[in-house]
Amino acid sequence: MKLIPYVIYLILMAFHAVILQGVTTIFTASLNLPALIVLAVAIYKDDIPATWFGFVAGLVAFAGGPPEQLGWQGLIMALLALGACQVRVRLNLDSLRAKLLLVLCGLILHNVVVLLMSQADGFLVNVFTYAVAGAVYTTLLAWVFFVLKERVITVERIKAIF
Amino acid sequence: MKWTSNFVSSYLRTVNFVAICLLALALIIMGPQLTPLVSGTVVTVLYYPFSKIKTSIVNMMGVAEENARLQLLLREATLRLSNLNEIQRENVRLRSVLNFEAPPGYSLVPARVISITGTAVPISAVINKGSRSGVTPGMPVINQDGLVGRVVSSFEEVATIELLTNPTHRVAARVAESREMGIVRYRTHEGLILDNFPILGRIEVGYQVLSSGLGGTYPAGLIIGTVRSVERPSEETFCRVEIDPAANFNTLEELFVLRERRQ
Repeated sequence: MKLIPYVIYLILMAFHAVILQGVTTIFTASLNLPALIVLAVAIYKDDIPATWFGFVAGLVAFAGGPPEQLGWQGLIMALLALGACQVRVRLNLDSLRAKLLLVLCGLILHNVVVLLMSQADGFLVNVFTYAVAGAVYTTLLAWVFFVLKERVITVERIKAIF
Repeated sequence: MKWTSNFVSSYLRTVNFVAICLLALALIIMGPQLTPLVSGTVVTVLYYPFSKIKTSIVNMMGVAEENARLQLLLREATLRLSNLNEIQRENVRLRSVLNFEAPPGYSLVPARVISITGTAVPISAVINKGSRSGVTPGMPVINQDGLVGRVVSSFEEVATIELLTNPTHRVAARVAESREMGIVRYRTHEGLILDNFPILGRIEVGYQVLSSGLGGTYPAGLIIGTVRSVERPSEETFCRVEIDPAANFNTLEELFVLRERRQ
Protein backbone atom coordinates (compact mmCIF):
# COMPACT_ATOMS: atom_id res chain seq x y z
CA MET A 1 0.00 0.00 0.00
CA LYS A 2 2.87 2.33 0.70
CA LEU A 3 4.05 1.91 -2.87
CA ILE A 4 0.80 3.13 -4.44
CA PRO A 5 1.58 6.88 -4.18
CA TYR A 6 4.98 6.30 -5.75
CA VAL A 7 3.43 4.33 -8.59
CA ILE A 8 0.98 7.17 -9.12
CA TYR A 9 3.88 9.64 -9.23
CA LEU A 10 5.58 7.49 -11.86
CA ILE A 11 2.38 7.30 -13.91
CA LEU A 12 2.10 11.09 -13.62
CA MET A 13 5.65 11.44 -14.94
CA ALA A 14 4.88 9.19 -17.91
CA PHE A 15 1.65 11.09 -18.55
CA HIS A 16 3.57 14.35 -18.54
CA ALA A 17 6.34 13.01 -20.75
CA VAL A 18 3.92 11.68 -23.38
CA ILE A 19 1.01 14.10 -23.37
CA LEU A 20 1.72 17.28 -21.41
CA GLN A 21 5.35 17.96 -22.27
CA GLY A 22 4.60 19.86 -25.46
CA VAL A 23 1.56 21.64 -24.08
CA THR A 24 3.22 22.92 -20.92
CA THR A 25 6.38 24.22 -22.58
CA ILE A 26 6.51 28.01 -22.83
CA PHE A 27 9.16 29.16 -25.30
CA THR A 28 12.40 27.69 -23.90
CA ALA A 29 11.05 27.00 -20.43
CA SER A 30 9.88 23.45 -20.05
CA LEU A 31 8.45 21.84 -16.98
CA ASN A 32 10.84 19.44 -15.21
CA LEU A 33 8.10 17.46 -13.52
CA PRO A 34 10.19 14.34 -12.68
CA ALA A 35 12.76 16.39 -10.76
CA LEU A 36 9.98 18.36 -9.05
CA ILE A 37 8.23 15.19 -7.92
CA VAL A 38 11.50 13.70 -6.70
CA LEU A 39 12.29 16.88 -4.75
CA ALA A 40 8.78 16.97 -3.30
CA VAL A 41 9.12 13.34 -2.20
CA ALA A 42 12.53 14.15 -0.70
CA ILE A 43 11.04 17.03 1.26
CA TYR A 44 8.14 15.06 2.69
CA LYS A 45 9.51 11.50 2.94
CA ASP A 46 12.50 9.74 4.48
CA ASP A 47 15.77 9.62 2.67
CA ILE A 48 15.84 5.89 1.84
CA PRO A 49 12.48 5.68 0.04
CA ALA A 50 13.12 9.09 -1.50
CA THR A 51 16.49 7.95 -2.86
CA TRP A 52 15.05 4.76 -4.29
CA PHE A 53 12.15 6.68 -5.76
CA GLY A 54 14.60 9.16 -7.27
CA PHE A 55 16.51 6.34 -8.91
CA VAL A 56 13.38 4.73 -10.36
CA ALA A 57 12.01 8.13 -11.37
CA GLY A 58 15.23 8.82 -13.26
CA LEU A 59 14.83 5.54 -15.15
CA VAL A 60 11.17 6.23 -15.91
CA ALA A 61 11.62 9.86 -16.90
CA PHE A 62 14.51 9.17 -19.25
CA ALA A 63 13.38 5.79 -20.59
CA GLY A 64 12.74 7.43 -23.92
CA GLY A 65 16.20 9.08 -23.98
CA PRO A 66 19.59 7.79 -25.10
CA PRO A 67 20.12 4.26 -23.62
CA GLU A 68 23.70 4.93 -22.55
CA GLN A 69 22.53 7.75 -20.27
CA LEU A 70 19.82 5.79 -18.48
CA GLY A 71 22.02 4.65 -15.61
CA TRP A 72 23.43 8.13 -15.16
CA GLN A 73 20.00 9.67 -15.11
CA GLY A 74 18.87 7.24 -12.42
CA LEU A 75 21.94 7.98 -10.37
CA ILE A 76 21.57 11.75 -10.75
CA MET A 77 17.95 11.64 -9.63
CA ALA A 78 18.86 9.43 -6.70
CA LEU A 79 21.61 11.86 -5.70
CA LEU A 80 19.20 14.76 -6.10
CA ALA A 81 16.71 13.10 -3.77
CA LEU A 82 19.41 12.19 -1.26
CA GLY A 83 20.88 15.67 -1.35
CA ALA A 84 17.48 17.32 -0.90
CA CYS A 85 16.73 15.02 2.04
CA GLN A 86 20.05 15.83 3.67
CA VAL A 87 19.55 19.58 3.20
CA ARG A 88 16.01 19.34 4.56
CA VAL A 89 17.10 17.33 7.62
CA ARG A 90 20.25 19.27 8.40
CA LEU A 91 18.77 22.74 7.90
CA ASN A 92 15.43 21.73 9.37
CA LEU A 93 13.46 23.43 6.57
CA ASP A 94 9.93 24.34 7.50
CA SER A 95 9.08 27.57 5.81
CA LEU A 96 7.56 27.71 2.36
CA ARG A 97 10.30 29.99 1.04
CA ALA A 98 13.04 27.66 2.22
CA LYS A 99 11.37 24.73 0.51
CA LEU A 100 10.94 26.73 -2.67
CA LEU A 101 14.59 27.78 -2.55
CA LEU A 102 15.59 24.16 -2.13
CA VAL A 103 13.41 23.14 -5.05
CA LEU A 104 14.76 25.96 -7.24
CA CYS A 105 18.38 25.07 -6.48
CA GLY A 106 17.70 21.38 -7.02
CA LEU A 107 15.99 22.03 -10.32
CA ILE A 108 18.74 24.33 -11.59
CA LEU A 109 21.35 21.77 -10.56
CA HIS A 110 19.48 18.95 -12.26
CA ASN A 111 18.87 20.94 -15.43
CA VAL A 112 22.50 21.99 -15.60
CA VAL A 113 23.72 18.42 -15.15
CA VAL A 114 21.31 17.15 -17.82
CA LEU A 115 22.52 19.96 -20.08
CA LEU A 116 26.14 18.95 -19.47
CA MET A 117 25.31 15.36 -20.33
CA SER A 118 23.69 16.40 -23.59
CA GLN A 119 27.03 18.01 -24.59
CA ALA A 120 25.24 20.75 -26.51
CA ASP A 121 27.12 23.77 -27.84
CA GLY A 122 26.75 27.16 -26.15
CA PHE A 123 26.57 25.85 -22.63
CA LEU A 124 26.30 29.21 -20.84
CA VAL A 125 23.56 30.45 -23.13
CA ASN A 126 21.69 27.21 -22.66
CA VAL A 127 22.05 27.45 -18.88
CA PHE A 128 20.09 30.68 -18.86
CA THR A 129 17.66 30.01 -21.69
CA TYR A 130 16.83 26.43 -20.79
CA ALA A 131 18.12 25.39 -17.36
CA VAL A 132 17.31 28.50 -15.31
CA ALA A 133 14.15 29.36 -17.24
CA GLY A 134 12.85 25.82 -16.87
CA ALA A 135 13.76 25.73 -13.18
CA VAL A 136 11.97 29.01 -12.46
CA TYR A 137 8.91 27.87 -14.39
CA THR A 138 8.85 24.56 -12.51
CA THR A 139 9.33 26.36 -9.19
CA LEU A 140 6.18 28.34 -9.89
CA LEU A 141 4.32 25.06 -10.14
CA ALA A 142 6.07 23.92 -6.95
CA TRP A 143 4.83 27.07 -5.21
CA VAL A 144 1.24 26.25 -6.17
CA PHE A 145 1.78 22.68 -4.98
CA PHE A 146 3.25 23.74 -1.61
CA VAL A 147 0.56 26.35 -1.08
CA LEU A 148 -2.10 23.69 -1.49
CA LYS A 149 -0.16 21.02 0.37
CA GLU A 150 0.63 23.24 3.36
CA ARG A 151 -2.97 24.45 3.31
CA VAL A 152 -1.91 28.07 2.99
CA ILE A 153 -4.83 28.43 0.57
CA THR A 154 -7.87 26.28 1.20
CA VAL A 155 -11.36 26.18 -0.22
CA GLU A 156 -12.69 27.51 3.08
CA ARG A 157 -10.36 30.50 2.96
CA ILE A 158 -11.30 31.27 -0.63
CA LYS A 159 -14.98 31.05 0.33
CA ALA A 160 -14.32 33.35 3.30
CA ILE A 161 -12.96 36.04 0.95
CA PHE A 162 -16.22 36.13 -0.95
CA MET B 1 21.91 0.43 22.33
CA LYS B 2 21.50 3.85 20.88
CA TRP B 3 24.84 3.55 19.20
CA THR B 4 23.74 0.21 17.68
CA SER B 5 20.52 1.75 16.46
CA ASN B 6 22.40 4.67 14.91
CA PHE B 7 24.92 2.32 13.36
CA VAL B 8 22.16 0.15 11.85
CA SER B 9 20.33 3.18 10.62
CA SER B 10 23.49 4.59 9.08
CA TYR B 11 24.40 1.16 7.72
CA LEU B 12 20.96 0.81 6.08
CA ARG B 13 21.35 4.19 4.37
CA THR B 14 24.76 3.19 3.11
CA VAL B 15 23.54 -0.19 1.90
CA ASN B 16 20.66 1.39 0.10
CA PHE B 17 22.81 4.02 -1.49
CA VAL B 18 25.46 1.48 -2.46
CA ALA B 19 22.75 -0.73 -3.96
CA ILE B 20 21.46 2.19 -6.02
CA CYS B 21 24.98 3.03 -7.14
CA LEU B 22 25.60 -0.59 -8.11
CA LEU B 23 22.39 -0.73 -10.12
CA ALA B 24 23.24 2.51 -11.83
CA LEU B 25 26.76 1.26 -12.47
CA ALA B 26 25.36 -1.95 -13.91
CA LEU B 27 23.14 0.07 -16.23
CA ILE B 28 26.09 2.23 -17.24
CA ILE B 29 28.56 -0.60 -17.75
CA MET B 30 26.16 -3.17 -19.21
CA GLY B 31 24.21 -0.54 -21.09
CA PRO B 32 23.62 -2.37 -24.38
CA GLN B 33 22.28 -5.47 -22.60
CA LEU B 34 20.33 -3.95 -19.73
CA THR B 35 19.03 -0.58 -20.84
CA PRO B 36 16.81 -1.89 -23.69
CA LEU B 37 15.18 -4.20 -21.15
CA VAL B 38 14.59 -1.42 -18.62
CA SER B 39 13.57 1.28 -21.05
CA GLY B 40 11.51 -1.21 -23.06
CA THR B 41 9.59 -2.26 -19.96
CA VAL B 42 9.02 1.33 -18.85
CA VAL B 43 7.95 2.44 -22.29
CA THR B 44 5.62 -0.54 -22.73
CA VAL B 45 4.03 -0.32 -19.30
CA LEU B 46 3.91 3.43 -18.70
CA TYR B 47 4.44 5.34 -21.93
CA TYR B 48 2.54 3.21 -24.43
CA PRO B 49 -0.97 3.55 -22.88
CA PHE B 50 -0.59 7.33 -22.80
CA SER B 51 0.80 7.27 -26.30
CA LYS B 52 -2.36 5.46 -27.44
CA ILE B 53 -4.52 8.01 -25.63
CA LYS B 54 -2.58 10.84 -27.26
CA THR B 55 -2.97 9.24 -30.67
CA SER B 56 -6.71 8.86 -30.07
CA ILE B 57 -7.00 12.50 -29.03
CA VAL B 58 -5.04 13.66 -32.07
CA ASN B 59 -7.20 11.46 -34.31
CA MET B 60 -10.37 12.77 -32.71
CA MET B 61 -9.20 16.33 -33.24
CA GLY B 62 -8.44 15.42 -36.83
CA VAL B 63 -11.88 13.89 -37.23
CA ALA B 64 -13.51 17.03 -35.82
CA GLU B 65 -11.56 19.21 -38.24
CA GLU B 66 -12.36 16.92 -41.15
CA ASN B 67 -16.01 16.90 -40.12
CA ALA B 68 -16.10 20.71 -40.09
CA ARG B 69 -14.38 20.81 -43.49
CA LEU B 70 -16.83 18.28 -44.95
CA GLN B 71 -19.79 20.15 -43.49
CA LEU B 72 -18.56 23.27 -45.24
CA LEU B 73 -18.12 21.38 -48.51
CA LEU B 74 -21.59 19.89 -48.14
CA ARG B 75 -23.12 23.32 -47.61
CA GLU B 76 -21.30 24.64 -50.67
CA ALA B 77 -22.37 21.64 -52.74
CA THR B 78 -25.99 22.01 -51.60
CA LEU B 79 -25.96 25.68 -52.51
CA ARG B 80 -24.40 24.91 -55.89
CA LEU B 81 -26.96 22.18 -56.53
CA SER B 82 -29.77 24.55 -55.65
CA ASN B 83 -28.35 27.14 -58.07
CA LEU B 84 -28.02 24.50 -60.79
CA ASN B 85 -31.62 23.41 -60.27
CA GLU B 86 -32.74 27.01 -60.58
CA ILE B 87 -30.65 27.43 -63.72
CA GLN B 88 -32.17 24.24 -65.13
CA ARG B 89 -35.68 25.52 -64.49
CA GLU B 90 -34.79 28.86 -66.07
CA ASN B 91 -33.32 27.01 -69.03
CA VAL B 92 -36.57 25.11 -69.55
CA ARG B 93 -38.56 28.33 -69.36
CA LEU B 94 -36.28 30.21 -71.72
CA ARG B 95 -36.33 27.33 -74.21
CA SER B 96 -40.12 27.46 -74.22
CA VAL B 97 -40.13 31.18 -75.02
CA LEU B 98 -37.33 30.94 -77.55
CA ASN B 99 -39.64 30.45 -80.50
CA PHE B 100 -42.22 32.87 -79.22
CA GLU B 101 -43.25 35.38 -81.87
CA ALA B 102 -44.86 38.75 -81.52
CA PRO B 103 -48.26 39.47 -83.08
CA PRO B 104 -48.08 41.12 -86.50
CA GLY B 105 -47.12 44.78 -86.27
CA TYR B 106 -45.53 44.46 -82.87
CA SER B 107 -42.05 43.77 -81.56
CA LEU B 108 -41.19 42.08 -78.29
CA VAL B 109 -39.29 43.79 -75.49
CA PRO B 110 -38.20 41.00 -73.16
CA ALA B 111 -38.32 41.92 -69.49
CA ARG B 112 -37.90 40.26 -66.15
CA VAL B 113 -40.24 40.69 -63.20
CA ILE B 114 -38.56 42.50 -60.31
CA SER B 115 -41.42 42.50 -57.85
CA ILE B 116 -45.08 41.60 -57.63
CA THR B 117 -47.70 43.34 -55.52
CA GLY B 118 -50.99 41.97 -54.27
CA THR B 119 -52.35 40.36 -51.16
CA ALA B 120 -54.77 37.61 -52.22
CA VAL B 121 -53.70 37.56 -55.87
CA PRO B 122 -50.98 39.52 -57.65
CA ILE B 123 -52.47 42.67 -59.13
CA SER B 124 -49.41 44.53 -60.35
CA ALA B 125 -45.78 43.87 -61.11
CA VAL B 126 -42.61 45.81 -61.73
CA ILE B 127 -40.38 44.84 -64.64
CA ASN B 128 -36.77 45.70 -65.33
CA LYS B 129 -37.41 47.54 -68.57
CA GLY B 130 -38.52 51.14 -68.78
CA SER B 131 -38.60 54.15 -71.06
CA ARG B 132 -34.94 53.63 -71.96
CA SER B 133 -36.03 50.39 -73.66
CA GLY B 134 -39.01 52.07 -75.31
CA VAL B 135 -41.57 50.86 -72.79
CA THR B 136 -44.35 53.40 -72.35
CA PRO B 137 -47.69 53.33 -70.51
CA GLY B 138 -50.51 51.51 -72.27
CA MET B 139 -48.32 48.86 -73.89
CA PRO B 140 -49.66 45.30 -73.61
CA VAL B 141 -47.61 42.76 -71.69
CA ILE B 142 -47.69 39.06 -72.46
CA ASN B 143 -45.72 35.94 -71.76
CA GLN B 144 -45.39 32.71 -73.69
CA ASP B 145 -48.77 31.53 -72.34
CA GLY B 146 -50.91 34.56 -73.03
CA LEU B 147 -51.96 38.03 -72.00
CA VAL B 148 -50.64 39.27 -68.69
CA GLY B 149 -51.61 42.93 -68.46
CA ARG B 150 -50.53 46.37 -69.56
CA VAL B 151 -47.95 48.96 -68.64
CA VAL B 152 -49.42 51.70 -66.47
CA SER B 153 -46.32 53.70 -65.63
CA SER B 154 -42.85 53.77 -67.02
CA PHE B 155 -39.60 55.10 -65.63
CA GLU B 156 -36.13 55.11 -67.10
CA GLU B 157 -35.16 51.57 -66.08
CA VAL B 158 -38.37 50.04 -64.74
CA ALA B 159 -42.04 49.96 -65.49
CA THR B 160 -45.17 49.00 -63.57
CA ILE B 161 -47.68 46.58 -65.05
CA GLU B 162 -51.32 46.30 -64.20
CA LEU B 163 -52.13 42.60 -64.33
CA LEU B 164 -55.34 41.05 -65.62
CA THR B 165 -56.05 40.00 -62.07
CA ASN B 166 -56.51 43.60 -60.98
CA PRO B 167 -60.30 43.93 -60.37
CA THR B 168 -60.38 47.36 -62.04
CA HIS B 169 -58.88 46.02 -65.25
CA ARG B 170 -61.09 45.32 -68.29
CA VAL B 171 -60.18 43.66 -71.57
CA ALA B 172 -62.37 43.60 -74.63
CA ALA B 173 -62.53 39.91 -75.56
CA ARG B 174 -63.85 37.54 -78.15
CA VAL B 175 -64.54 33.84 -78.08
CA ALA B 176 -62.25 32.31 -80.64
CA GLU B 177 -64.67 29.67 -81.86
CA SER B 178 -67.86 31.73 -82.06
CA ARG B 179 -66.32 35.18 -82.57
CA GLU B 180 -68.82 36.59 -80.08
CA MET B 181 -67.59 39.27 -77.74
CA GLY B 182 -67.62 40.17 -74.08
CA ILE B 183 -65.50 41.86 -71.48
CA VAL B 184 -62.97 40.01 -69.41
CA ARG B 185 -62.46 41.15 -65.85
CA TYR B 186 -61.40 39.73 -62.57
CA ARG B 187 -63.64 39.26 -59.57
CA THR B 188 -61.92 38.55 -56.31
CA HIS B 189 -64.09 35.58 -55.32
CA GLU B 190 -64.87 34.21 -58.77
CA GLY B 191 -61.63 34.70 -60.63
CA LEU B 192 -61.40 35.72 -64.24
CA ILE B 193 -64.83 36.01 -65.89
CA LEU B 194 -66.21 36.91 -69.29
CA ASP B 195 -68.79 39.55 -68.61
CA ASN B 196 -71.49 40.91 -70.86
CA PHE B 197 -71.65 37.76 -72.95
CA PRO B 198 -75.16 37.28 -74.40
CA ILE B 199 -77.15 34.44 -72.93
CA LEU B 200 -77.93 33.11 -76.35
CA GLY B 201 -74.33 33.39 -77.51
CA ARG B 202 -72.45 30.27 -78.54
CA ILE B 203 -69.97 29.39 -75.87
CA GLU B 204 -68.90 26.12 -74.27
CA VAL B 205 -66.39 24.88 -71.80
CA GLY B 206 -62.97 24.66 -73.40
CA TYR B 207 -63.47 27.50 -75.85
CA GLN B 208 -60.60 29.90 -76.09
CA VAL B 209 -61.01 33.56 -75.15
CA LEU B 210 -58.89 36.10 -77.02
CA SER B 211 -58.48 39.83 -76.96
CA SER B 212 -60.79 41.41 -79.53
CA GLY B 213 -58.59 44.38 -80.36
CA LEU B 214 -61.44 46.78 -79.62
CA GLY B 215 -60.68 49.61 -77.26
CA GLY B 216 -57.22 50.16 -78.66
CA THR B 217 -55.14 48.92 -75.77
CA TYR B 218 -54.61 45.32 -76.79
CA PRO B 219 -54.10 43.97 -80.26
CA ALA B 220 -56.54 41.37 -81.41
CA GLY B 221 -55.81 37.68 -80.94
CA LEU B 222 -53.91 37.60 -77.66
CA ILE B 223 -54.86 34.51 -75.68
CA ILE B 224 -56.55 35.42 -72.42
CA GLY B 225 -57.69 32.02 -71.26
CA THR B 226 -60.00 29.07 -71.68
CA VAL B 227 -63.64 28.80 -70.68
CA ARG B 228 -63.92 26.83 -67.45
CA SER B 229 -67.69 26.99 -66.81
CA VAL B 230 -70.77 28.48 -68.41
CA GLU B 231 -74.03 29.24 -66.62
CA ARG B 232 -77.15 30.54 -68.35
CA PRO B 233 -79.60 31.80 -65.71
CA SER B 234 -83.03 32.07 -67.30
CA GLU B 235 -83.91 35.37 -65.62
CA GLU B 236 -80.72 37.18 -66.73
CA THR B 237 -79.54 38.71 -69.96
CA PHE B 238 -75.93 37.58 -69.87
CA CYS B 239 -74.16 34.29 -69.27
CA ARG B 240 -71.89 33.68 -66.29
CA VAL B 241 -68.67 32.53 -67.87
CA GLU B 242 -65.62 31.67 -65.83
CA ILE B 243 -62.22 31.56 -67.47
CA ASP B 244 -59.00 29.82 -66.64
CA PRO B 245 -56.34 32.41 -67.41
CA ALA B 246 -53.71 31.29 -69.89
CA ALA B 247 -50.92 32.93 -67.93
CA ASN B 248 -50.11 31.72 -64.45
CA PHE B 249 -50.01 34.90 -62.41
CA ASN B 250 -48.33 33.22 -59.48
CA THR B 251 -45.23 32.29 -61.46
CA LEU B 252 -44.54 35.35 -63.54
CA GLU B 253 -40.86 35.73 -64.38
CA GLU B 254 -40.05 36.47 -68.00
CA LEU B 255 -42.46 38.78 -69.77
CA PHE B 256 -42.64 40.56 -73.11
CA VAL B 257 -43.83 44.07 -73.65
CA LEU B 258 -45.49 44.50 -77.02
CA ARG B 259 -44.12 47.56 -78.74
CA GLU B 260 -45.91 48.72 -81.86
CA ARG B 261 -43.66 48.82 -84.90
CA ARG B 262 -43.55 52.24 -86.45
CA GLN B 263 -44.13 52.36 -90.15
